[in-house]
Amino acid sequence: MHIPENYLSPTTCGVLGVAMVPIWAVAIKKVKETVPKEKMPLLGVAAAFSFLAMMFNIPLPGGTTGHAVCGTLIAILFGPWAAVIAVSIALILQAVFFGDGGILALGANCFNMAFVLPLVGYGIYRFIAGRMQGLRGELIAAGAGSYVALNCAALCAAVEFGIQPLLFTDASGAALYCPYPLAVSVPAMMVGHLTIWGAAEVVFTCGILAFIRKVAPGFALHDGPQPARGGRALAPVAILVAVLIALTPLGLLAEGDAWGEWGLEDLAALAGYTPAGMADGWEWSAFMPDYSIGALPDAIGYILCAVIGVALLVIIFRLIAAAMKPSVDFDAA
Amino acid sequence: MEENTSSPNSLPTWIAQPPTYDPPTDRDGFITQSMLSVAGVLSQFRLDDGTAARFSPSAPVKLVVGLAIILLNSLSTNFVFTLVLLAGVLVRVALLPACMLRRVCGVTGAAAALAFVIMLPAILLGQTHSAVLIAGKTLVSVGTCMTIALSTPYHELTAGLRAFHVPSLFIFVLDLALKNIVRLGNVALEVLCALRLRSVGRNTEKTASMGGVSGVVLLKTKASAEETADAMACRGFSGDYRKPAAHTWRAVDAAWAAALVLIVVLFVICESVV
Repeated sequence: MHIPENYLSPTTCGVLGVAMVPIWAVAIKKVKETVPKEKMPLLGVAAAFSFLAMMFNIPLPGGTTGHAVCGTLIAILFGPWAAVIAVSIALILQAVFFGDGGILALGANCFNMAFVLPLVGYGIYRFIAGRMQGLRGELIAAGAGSYVALNCAALCAAVEFGIQPLLFTDASGAALYCPYPLAVSVPAMMVGHLTIWGAAEVVFTCGILAFIRKVAPGFALHDGPQPARGGRALAPVAILVAVLIALTPLGLLAEGDAWGEWGLEDLAALAGYTPAGMADGWEWSAFMPDYSIGALPDAIGYILCAVIGVALLVIIFRLIAAAMKPSVDFDAA
Repeated sequence: MEENTSSPNSLPTWIAQPPTYDPPTDRDGFITQSMLSVAGVLSQFRLDDGTAARFSPSAPVKLVVGLAIILLNSLSTNFVFTLVLLAGVLVRVALLPACMLRRVCGVTGAAAALAFVIMLPAILLGQTHSAVLIAGKTLVSVGTCMTIALSTPYHELTAGLRAFHVPSLFIFVLDLALKNIVRLGNVALEVLCALRLRSVGRNTEKTASMGGVSGVVLLKTKASAEETADAMACRGFSGDYRKPAAHTWRAVDAAWAAALVLIVVLFVICESVV
């Protein structure tokens, strides 16, 4: 679902980037008000879940791949606005360091995966969870919310792809950017997300949520302070992150690219021509493109990229926490 | 006089008058800047809060691993090796306590940014890779150095130096310097604070007090040195740092030593590929 560089026109990227500015501003304000300083590092761990989930590429017959996002999971644990910030930072890291998603398309990717996805998912979760009891009810609500939200985000991405050939063509009528119209992009994107990748999102969201509710009480925003077990209280979550990092090479089993994430040559072979705007487009050379590190074996490179990404996310959110004012409510005491 | 004492129950007129003394506003940039720089130096040298983490190796092992990482990182010409080290350093830094994390990130980020700015001409000449490589190497080396400094009590660091046959005199000077920089910095801070409090009204000759501040610090240094020497002599210090007793290897030390061997092997492999 990561829209690469030059698939969208600079105008589309600009509009969605500008649209994200007030959303980020509201999200920062809401996070300052609702997420206490002590919970901020845990939001970094939740962002790491999203980062790792996006590394697990799952294949679909036909050669295309996709992944879960876990934005709904973060929204359930820390609130929807915290999820906006967490997924946005994960997407920025992916674009800058790993070339996953375009730098110019960052606004569009954040709009789809960091705004639409967590807010829709959280809305549905709250609607269902308010009518069901217990952990089972919560998991059903989380599963439904995450499934619908992932598909909404995929639909947004499909529409953004599909309007390009309608809006931006050269004199001969050939598309300047993504060459596939809505009639192609919407079914192509939705088939995978309505089936396998939607199911993967449900499995990731419900699995991690059930794990956290059972073994790491105190992790989520409204769980209150940590139980008096010191650093050991969060040991299960740390172990889960380590296991997910170790398992990330499974994402390499899926061969081929996700729909709409082909390289220029592959796109030319598929569409029959190279759109002019894409041929002359700007390209960012990431340090670790496609989660690979030089001549290292793919699996080791993938694990190292996962380690670097997770460590950076934890450091960023811990630094944000360190810069925040302590939130001590003296009236409560 | 007559008015002031006419009625024992009334206030003297001079005290009933509103105070009209309004000293001209003073510019105390010099003292403020001096205090800020002294406080800055203190915060940089305050190594006495270094505390070993749960899986920290002993100080000598930590020094060897740290020096080896910095050396191999500097010698490496393969960006892959630097990235592998970077992953390790990032994980270690992510696990540091919040106060240490801020210091490590601040210093390391500033050093890497400086290295990148210095290498900007290389980017203009089309050698972006070199600029990123140098900035990455700086990040790894400074990050390693800061992490070791902040996660090791300084007396263990100096004791660890003795295990490498560093001369006693060198360790002694280093030991006392580290201790006294903080103490004398505090003295300088107090004197500057006193100077600021005593300065009323516009005073254009504050810099003239610099000699006084330096003199006080010098006298305190002399007194402190004599007191330290006497105290150490009383406790039986003969000027020689004894070598630590035969180093007992813990499992953590062995694990770090094994990690170092792996790093060396990776270095050799990476260099043979380039």
